[in-house]
Amino acid sequence: MVDITQIMRFDDLASQDSPIHNLEGRIKLISTIFIIVVCVVSQELFIPLILEIFLLVVLKIAKLSYWDSFKRLLMLLPFGGAIIIFQPFIQPGNIIWSYSWLHVTDAGLNWAILLLVRLIVSLTAIIIYSSTTPLQEMASSFRKLKMPRDLAMILSIMVRFLFLFIDELAAIRKSQKSRNFNIHGKNTPYKWRVKQVGYTIGMMFLKAYEQGERVHKSMVSRGFSDASEMFDEKKSPERSDYLYLFTIILIVIVLEIIIFKFSGQLGYLGQNLGIN
Amino acid sequence: MHIPDGFIPISQCIVYYVILIVALYFSVKWARSNLDEKRIPLLAVLAAGIFAIMSMNMPIPFGTSGHMVGGALVAIVFLAPEAAVLVFTVVLLIQALIFGDGGITALGANVLNMAIIGGSVGLYTFKGLNGMIGKYAAAGVGAWLATVIAALACAIEMAIAGTFPANIGIPSMVLYHLFIGIIEAVLTVIVLVALDKFRPDLLAWNKGDA
Repeated sequence: MVDITQIMRFDDLASQDSPIHNLEGRIKLISTIFIIVVCVVSQELFIPLILEIFLLVVLKIAKLSYWDSFKRLLMLLPFGGAIIIFQPFIQPGNIIWSYSWLHVTDAGLNWAILLLVRLIVSLTAIIIYSSTTPLQEMASSFRKLKMPRDLAMILSIMVRFLFLFIDELAAIRKSQKSRNFNIHGKNTPYKWRVKQVGYTIGMMFLKAYEQGERVHKSMVSRGFSDASEMFDEKKSPERSDYLYLFTIILIVIVLEIIIFKFSGQLGYLGQNLGIN
Repeated sequence: MHIPDGFIPISQCIVYYVILIVALYFSVKWARSNLDEKRIPLLAVLAAGIFAIMSMNMPIPFGTSGHMVGGALVAIVFLAPEAAVLVFTVVLLIQALIFGDGGITALGANVLNMAIIGGSVGLYTFKGLNGMIGKYAAAGVGAWLATVIAALACAIEMAIAGTFPANIGIPSMVLYHLFIGIIEAVLTVIVLVALDKFRPDLLAWNKGDA
């Protein structure tokens, strides 16, 4: 699991200025989801790899650090990576390497490579999106895209309070640390440590609930009712926004045509590696 | 337990999304009729709290670590799995968009496992055992079972997707979560004890409909 205190840094990054940062929120969200869906659907390496190159260019335009983005990517890989590592050994296919009971199959290896590439491209798209879009903008994009009202409201308010809770959690951790509390330390009984974590979580839960009540009261006193709507800045996509989205769609269409017509000439990149 | 993008084919993702949309429809309806207008700020701030709670890693014997999910906890506090669905849809959406923890295309499946299945298993186990072994023990068993069954559901989804064959995926996921579940159970009980002590009015079971 990632360290959520980093979310503050992400929001700092997201508030900078670059052509990608300045794109309209909805356009960024839709293009991110579009790229991910295209990757998930792809059975060949060709399309995801070209999209990854495109994303690396976008990363440059967004003035993001390659090294920091790469580090973030590495931190996100474990769960997916753990499942991918098993693939060559568990998928049926022609055995290409074996050592006593261990077998590596060609179909399994191909599938693992495809999964890894899909995962990396999806995560790159997410890293770019979250490093160029502040949380508030994400929430307002969902509102503008007609997310059901109650859910959109919950999302918007949640996003506002997230930072407060991260601060709160950091404060609790700091005070525990200042008393030499170490969650992984072996000097205290395990049971006691679990109890301390339980109390911290209970505390967070209570604080969350009570904060929710206070927020509600202060909202009511400012005229909030069931019929209230969130305010959204009227900002419609500009020509550059449409151009960005159109470029991505065009790239994907061209790539699909290439795969359809010339998959034979692309060699391994054009080969169908999927098993589902 | 967060399934990433690319592991489930898009056709199956759509099925899970349809389940998610139906669940959300009923959850919003439930919230409107059972919680007053306080519901929106309440669920929102709770979601922020759960987000923070999910990020706390707890060491587990055998050298790994896990974190609490809280699906059963939210369902038991409100005595309704619908609350878990609302909270977790928002939490998992933000986790997917910011951290890439769990995929966007797999969001439906992830909410299904952790909130719909996790919340319902936790709550109904709790309700079933409440009279027999007392509320805290029942909540503990509920939270433990919720974690195990959610992991089982995750393994089954991966098996259907062809990503992880059932004969390896199911035993490994379930075995691992038998242990993670204990932590989830202990933490759920501690939180419930604390809530019952400091704010008994927050727990739906104190309102007489348990």
